[in-house]
Amino acid sequence: MRISRRLLSAAASASTANPSEIAFFSRLSQQWWDESGEFAFLHRMNPVRVGYIRDKILATIEDEAPTPAQGRETVRALGPRPLAGLDILDVGCGGGLLCESLARLGGRTLGIDASSSNVAIATLHASQDPRLSGSTPSSNERPQPLEYKHTTSEELLASGASRPQFDVVCSMEVLEHVDHPDKFLRSCADLVKPGGHLFLSTISRTPLSQFLTITMAENILGLVSRGTHDHTKYVKPSELVQFFSDELGWIRRPSNGSPGNLPFDQAELRGMAYLPWAGKWILSPRGAPMELDCNYLFWARKPKTPQ
Amino acid sequence: MTLILGPCCRQHARRFFTASKPTVWTARSFATEVPSSVEEFDVVIVGGGPAGLALATALASSKPILDTTSIALIEAGDLARVRNWSQPSGTFSNRVSSITNISQGFLDSIGAWAHVENSRVAKLEDMQVWDGLSDARIEFSASELRSLSGSGRVPQIAHMTENLNLQRGLLHRLNDFPSVKLLDNVKVDDIKAEEGDKGGWPTLKLSDGKTLRTRLLVGADGFNSPVKKYAGIRTYGWAYDTHAVVATMFHSPPFPGTPLTAYQRFLPTGPIAFLPLSDTAASLVWSTKPHLAAALKATHPDMINAAFRLPDTSMKVLYDVLLDTKSQVTPEEMAETIRWREESHGIAPLSSLSSIEAGGSAAVGGYGGEADMPPLVTAIQPGSVAGFPLRLSHAEVYIGEGAGARTALVGDAAHTIHPLAGQGLNMGLADVQALSKCIENAVQLGADIGSRTALLPYPRARYFENHKLLSATDKLHKLYETTFPPVVWARSAGLEVINELESVKSVLMMNAGRGGEASSLWDVAAAGVEGVSRAVHSAEAVARGVGNLGMALIQNALRK
Repeated sequence: MRISRRLLSAAASASTANPSEIAFFSRLSQQWWDESGEFAFLHRMNPVRVGYIRDKILATIEDEAPTPAQGRETVRALGPRPLAGLDILDVGCGGGLLCESLARLGGRTLGIDASSSNVAIATLHASQDPRLSGSTPSSNERPQPLEYKHTTSEELLASGASRPQFDVVCSMEVLEHVDHPDKFLRSCADLVKPGGHLFLSTISRTPLSQFLTITMAENILGLVSRGTHDHTKYVKPSELVQFFSDELGWIRRPSNGSPGNLPFDQAELRGMAYLPWAGKWILSPRGAPMELDCNYLFWARKPKTPQ
Repeated sequence: MTLILGPCCRQHARRFFTASKPTVWTARSFATEVPSSVEEFDVVIVGGGPAGLALATALASSKPILDTTSIALIEAGDLARVRNWSQPSGTFSNRVSSITNISQGFLDSIGAWAHVENSRVAKLEDMQVWDGLSDARIEFSASELRSLSGSGRVPQIAHMTENLNLQRGLLHRLNDFPSVKLLDNVKVDDIKAEEGDKGGWPTLKLSDGKTLRTRLLVGADGFNSPVKKYAGIRTYGWAYDTHAVVATMFHSPPFPGTPLTAYQRFLPTGPIAFLPLSDTAASLVWSTKPHLAAALKATHPDMINAAFRLPDTSMKVLYDVLLDTKSQVTPEEMAETIRWREESHGIAPLSSLSSIEAGGSAAVGGYGGEADMPPLVTAIQPGSVAGFPLRLSHAEVYIGEGAGARTALVGDAAHTIHPLAGQGLNMGLADVQALSKCIENAVQLGADIGSRTALLPYPRARYFENHKLLSATDKLHKLYETTFPPVVWARSAGLEVINELESVKSVLMMNAGRGGEASSLWDVAAAGVEGVSRAVHSAEAVARGVGNLGMALIQNALRK
């Protein structure tokens, strides 16, 4: 309930990004692409997030085709560029881990970050890759597959003369770092086109997450820098569901309380778990014990017509 | 090469770090003017041997990879000679491999097996392995494989074919993919990681003046792999005090309907193998001491026949004849010595144990008989005898890190193995299958296929598997080459020899099944390797009579 109140409290500042958090991540930004360093866990997690986004979008394409056969054909024709033709925004792109993958899958991708050094690192890294920097002849037909901008979701929303909107908005591992989750989520939601997708990944506020992400990851194993996480900022899945149904009206047929039982065409929650023995992250099996008690993904579809 | 950031870009970079106003940056604003002579690739494979060609083929035959990935292969030799290779029917190249059913299934799945000339492939149906000291023998056949796998018919243990036949087949399959660049007759002069802010991608300078920049550099370039050197990957292992002599042998055709059989006898100097290629030809792989191998390069058919048949004490006499003669021993002298040794062992001239073909016996090649021996070799294909040293080696890792990032090793660049189990090429093909699967998964997730995260599943799939096979084969080699008396006595008395041979069998049969059967066969193999250690234990038990010193010596002998 604590967070629910926070979600509802409006803030005066123009941006929800926390200045000390921005500075903290700026200092780390040189390490973004060290796959064995501070962000090793994010690198390992990335394939799961990308796979989830890809599969969800492809499933929607299949579901909405006039016939299942046509749906399969559309998906097949997309081949290795399943996100072709989609405008994608990644809010809090960091070093560009997610953006690069989404751009390679064909999405016209814009990454934004409140830290200018993150944006510089992300831009520099993408420039090393001829398939992302558009310097190979083969990618000439798709100029600028990937752009970065030093801004926040709120500023982006306020900027353009025409209100910028995206087919897909992602914000991965950001929600737990912002000061005003309600404003932040509202700005992300406003950046989604009607019928578009919003993907979030974050950490639930539970004793388990306190233990795994702070006690273990920061204090004992030293996998991430101390001070990376603030447990009180974590958001529970039920709070997200409540916000997207009660406040935004995206989830129109809220199930009775159980976040794991959402209308399949409107929203979904999936847990993510790290398997140390396999060295990789997986989507937790649906209904696994404590599935949503630590890292989880949230997907919601914006209604095609305003509610 | 002007791959470091130009001054204009450095200015950009400075502006970035002080940027305070929101600005849109695209990767292109950073892109350096790349000199026109630098070609960009997603995958560059160094080495046009079976592993390198199979990798190029596997990558190209995956649609998700082909649609997203540019591929080049560099080979110092002339690939046109391999593509146009032909040999008169009935004669064979001396580099031959046993392709397990799993490997064959993989080659089939990438569309290459259809291009392997069928008439030059022999289906191995039966295998005979025995100990040179005790004559303890083990047989295994394709029918047994069927019962092991418990599903469907497996008509052969493996396919025997020339490496060139496989390489030519792979090249013909690659004709289907003109976008794969095959750069042959060109050497890699130098490999460097880019300097500065360009990300450290491997950049290759070729002997024809070209410069290639690649997202992923794969070393399929053999034991002395330049890619491995560039990646800074160290190799663990040692040279065996053993050379392999290979040759193509001719013999009379067997009775019609005789299953095509491979034979391997473990001599104290190393195993000698007869690997059938057709009804009248077979490949020899004779692993032995280097000085013997040198003398055996002028070998005679009788000597090979004797090596499968004569007791070890007489083999030692033959070695002496071979080594002591100042001038080259003539075939007649060798035949005379063998005849004399046979007489002393009471071997009848026309029995299957006789190595000398009796002129008037209308020889049926020696198949059958009370002791199952390979057909008598009547001639050696001129020019087919060759020798090479054997070594065990295993790269410490398969993917490079730090300054050697964006690299992966496959095949002999990653590991070399004693040929006694015939697994070298198959291990390389399994690497190729795992790496191409890993890359296919990665491109479908939009990953950077040169990144460590994308490549990690590859060593996870292969490293331990290869290690198990390398160490099992290594243990067998050592067990059989030891001359330490208690161990040899235990072997000659037949003590636990069957156990040891079971382990030989397991190693040989490993991966003999198809696809999903691999794991159950592996269990059998693992049990076999257990057998080896049991054998070692029993040898130790024998030594216990000799005292603790003896046991320590055995352990040292086996550990050597």
